[in-house]
Amino acid sequence: MNSAEPSSKSNEPTLRGHVYDGIQEYDQKLPNWWLFTWYITMVWFVIGWLAYYQLGYGRTDHELIGEQMAKIEAVRAKELEAIDDKKLWEMSRTPEVVEAGKATFMATCVACHAADLSAHLAGVKLPGLPLNDTEWKHGGNPTQLMTIVRKGAPDITKGMASWEALGIKKITEVVAFVMSHHKEGEPVTLAADSPLKQGTAPVAAPVAPKS
Amino acid sequence: MSTNNAAKAIIEFDDQSVRRFMWASIIWGIVGMLVGLLIASQLNFHQLNFNTSFLTFGRLRPLHTNAVIFAFVGNMMFAGVYYSTQRLCKARMASDLLSKIHFWGWQMIIVSAAVTLPLGLSRGQEYAELIWPINIAVTLIWVVFAVNFFWTLHKRNEPSLYVALWFYIATIITIAMLYIVNHLSIPTSWTHSYTVFSGVQNALVQWWYGHNAVAFFLTTPILGIMYYFLPKAVERPVYSYRLSIVHFWSLVFIYIWAGPHHLLNTALPMWLQYLGMFFSLMLWAPSWGGMLNGLLTLRGAWDKLRTDPVVKFFIAAVTFYGMSTFEGPLLSIRAVNALSHYSDWTIGHVHSGAMGWNGFMAAGLFYWLAPRLYGTKLYSTAWANFHFWIGTMGILIYVGAMWVSGIMQGLMLNATNPEGTSLMYPAFLDTLTAIRPLMAARIVGGLLYFCGMVLMLVNLVLTARRGKAVNESREVALLNRGDKDTMPLKDTFINDPIAYMFGGLLLIMGWVFLPPGADIASLVCAGIFAVIAIRKFQQGAQKWSNWYDRLLLNYMPFTVLTFVAVLLGGLIQIIPTVVVNRAQNIEDRIQKVYTPLELAGRDLYVNEGCYNCHSQMIRTMLPDVLRYGDYSRLGESIYDHPFQWGSKRTGPDLARVGSRYAEDWHYKHMLDPRSTSPGSNMPPYAHLYERKFDQKSLPAKIAAMTQLGVPYPAMSGDEIKQKAIEQGIEVVGRLKEKGIAASPDTEIVALIAYLMKLGQYDTPEVEERLTDGTQGLPFPLKPGDPDKFRTSVKPPSLPLPAGQ
Repeated sequence: MNSAEPSSKSNEPTLRGHVYDGIQEYDQKLPNWWLFTWYITMVWFVIGWLAYYQLGYGRTDHELIGEQMAKIEAVRAKELEAIDDKKLWEMSRTPEVVEAGKATFMATCVACHAADLSAHLAGVKLPGLPLNDTEWKHGGNPTQLMTIVRKGAPDITKGMASWEALGIKKITEVVAFVMSHHKEGEPVTLAADSPLKQGTAPVAAPVAPKS
Repeated sequence: MSTNNAAKAIIEFDDQSVRRFMWASIIWGIVGMLVGLLIASQLNFHQLNFNTSFLTFGRLRPLHTNAVIFAFVGNMMFAGVYYSTQRLCKARMASDLLSKIHFWGWQMIIVSAAVTLPLGLSRGQEYAELIWPINIAVTLIWVVFAVNFFWTLHKRNEPSLYVALWFYIATIITIAMLYIVNHLSIPTSWTHSYTVFSGVQNALVQWWYGHNAVAFFLTTPILGIMYYFLPKAVERPVYSYRLSIVHFWSLVFIYIWAGPHHLLNTALPMWLQYLGMFFSLMLWAPSWGGMLNGLLTLRGAWDKLRTDPVVKFFIAAVTFYGMSTFEGPLLSIRAVNALSHYSDWTIGHVHSGAMGWNGFMAAGLFYWLAPRLYGTKLYSTAWANFHFWIGTMGILIYVGAMWVSGIMQGLMLNATNPEGTSLMYPAFLDTLTAIRPLMAARIVGGLLYFCGMVLMLVNLVLTARRGKAVNESREVALLNRGDKDTMPLKDTFINDPIAYMFGGLLLIMGWVFLPPGADIASLVCAGIFAVIAIRKFQQGAQKWSNWYDRLLLNYMPFTVLTFVAVLLGGLIQIIPTVVVNRAQNIEDRIQKVYTPLELAGRDLYVNEGCYNCHSQMIRTMLPDVLRYGDYSRLGESIYDHPFQWGSKRTGPDLARVGSRYAEDWHYKHMLDPRSTSPGSNMPPYAHLYERKFDQKSLPAKIAAMTQLGVPYPAMSGDEIKQKAIEQGIEVVGRLKEKGIAASPDTEIVALIAYLMKLGQYDTPEVEERLTDGTQGLPFPLKPGDPDKFRTSVKPPSLPLPAGQ
């Protein structure tokens, strides 16, 4: 290149002499705001890396999620302490709770258990079990039902998924809604294929309050 | 030819190739956008999948992305490169034959892609879906293009390389490098292969490629086109040569490092995430350098913006470029990415780039080129203006809708109750239902944009018919041999600018990779070194500048330096991940090897393009963990060729779906997704219920897997097939318990077997026993792992509760 031959008047930026197929180039200084934007991002890299790797500032993702999950587990345990069959039966007779549970049920459970809890839609059997009769596979106590909602069926490949993600509050409401279709003390039969009956599978026992 | 008195010659430019590429770009662009419109509509109206196999979203979305990137922008790039290179080199393209092979070869590749993708033949990696025979064709045609281009440079009659050519050079060599590495595969048949990388390595290589396809296919060549055609259109000098130098070199060097920002908050090692994030931020200013040089070139000619549609398109395109290159770094911040990733925000981001930057640059280019290529005037300036306005409206509606949609769905998915113990919207479908109106708005935006494209086609066809094809001829002064390409290798590398750049980089990398103590020392040295370099530059600026001016007279040294600049980032990020010992790559879990049936099912998952809507990566974030289960570990995808971490969640994550539903749920779901998930927009997959899965190829597939290091036990071909069928019978048995009759050799059974497997893993001890210590590369080199050096690294203070 016939290197930069300034053709500038004092108030004009330098125009480089070389012409490429009719195109010319000014040789202006880099805008300061642009340069400083760039410098800041570089400094940010140095500060960020130093802080995390050399000064040990902040937690790793794994530490953070571990703490958060432990906290959640503690809150859950505490919430569960207060819950027993009696409490759930009580809730099943409280209209506001049942209404709230119904809303969750209609959004989450209805696909397998049907809106009327029969697990049948227009005569077709849905994947879930009926919840409106007195025959139960995993036990008919409200706490047993709650365990299934939380943890899913003992053998997940043959039954319901875990719905722990709903949170204890919503789970208790849903259980209350289901139990509102039943009466405390009604006779309960175990289904023919119930793991409880055979006594082989882990019993979906009422959740023992943890301390 | 070389005499001291400049000899002159009449040169006729090859404008025929430019015309060909231009028409191909417009036509493929319209096709690609039409497919885009269809799949955008499918998201709202699942009926538009037509209950067939080859029109499902999962198969057509790769067709849309590949068509827009490689067919529309690819041909547009070639048109611009062929036109400008000849003029900037004052030479006809070196070989008419190579130009023809390039054009027709590229179109045949596009046609074969348009056939194979709907047939469900796919490698399962985004923008790298095409099957291996097409990969080879692409590589060959790219080499043809490269030879033709560099040969033209070699024969040039203009000694100095203009900035547009720098960008073309960077494009050609970088795309070749990225494409070849990311497509390394072991074929198992003519239409199927397994990528040689798996899990995290595959993820890293894929996004090194994927991100830089955006950088070096959709950005650098278009910047080159901008540098030639924008000053031509506005008839003003380029704003700043100095800015060109700084932003070119920083752009090509930094871009390569930014790939990991597609994998933020995943199982990817933290040091890579941080490198990806910080380099993306440092990329902001270099990108804006290009925007500034475009916009400010218009200084003193702003009035053209009112009258000339070409200038309108160019300036709007550059503005969209500035917008997306601001948005990119923003989305690369881990905290922002936690919200935006997997959502429509990313989709909006790429469309503001593709429709705004690429599409409008293409429109400006073609409205400028067509009259010149046909020796006439544009048929209708009013139509071009109208195209501009409906195009702009279309982009704004589209991108605006995607912003709102992405942010809204991201907020809903990540929302927890005030105590942070449970999700506000545990049902994924609620969040999908919420964004439906916005997904409808995107159709409107896309339709407007599409109409603009059609209008351009009509306008340009009428322009062409008004004139006739002309090839420009020019008298040029032939260049003496000694006036160009004389720089020895020594001068290329051994000089102050290069020495200081490398020294500085080395010290910075020492800071990143060296163990505690040495790292800080290295950083301090880097600081001191930088001060010395700045001093030296201030004293010898003219010397540095002269060296660079000399470099521009030498295309080979320039190319070599560009290659080094684009090579480094990839080497530094990928090599440690590939050679690092296995234990560091698997964390505390190792995936269970897929059985033959599950492998067959997985290949169906890949071929159907399930990854277009479903991720398999539970990020290390509370909302993800609450929704999908324990966060994914590296070891859990270590045998996945290709990895399927995904980049978009139109449906929920599937990393642990295996323990979520029973076989019959999947059976009903895939047949009619709305029967189990009311309100779902997933296509039905009826064809899987009739077709038999491919048993014949299983032995070859497992042989390839074994070759790649997956610890399969020794099995004969018959055993493999028998195992597959036996497991099929088991699945069918469990379906039968639920009253469903299925045949054990159907595709759906294989797919269900695969889905049921998702999320199963062993502990590393099992892996040690299985691999018997034969795994790992015979590398004495053990690169440092910055994450191991972290000052406060300690085992998570609170172990994860069981059952989570």
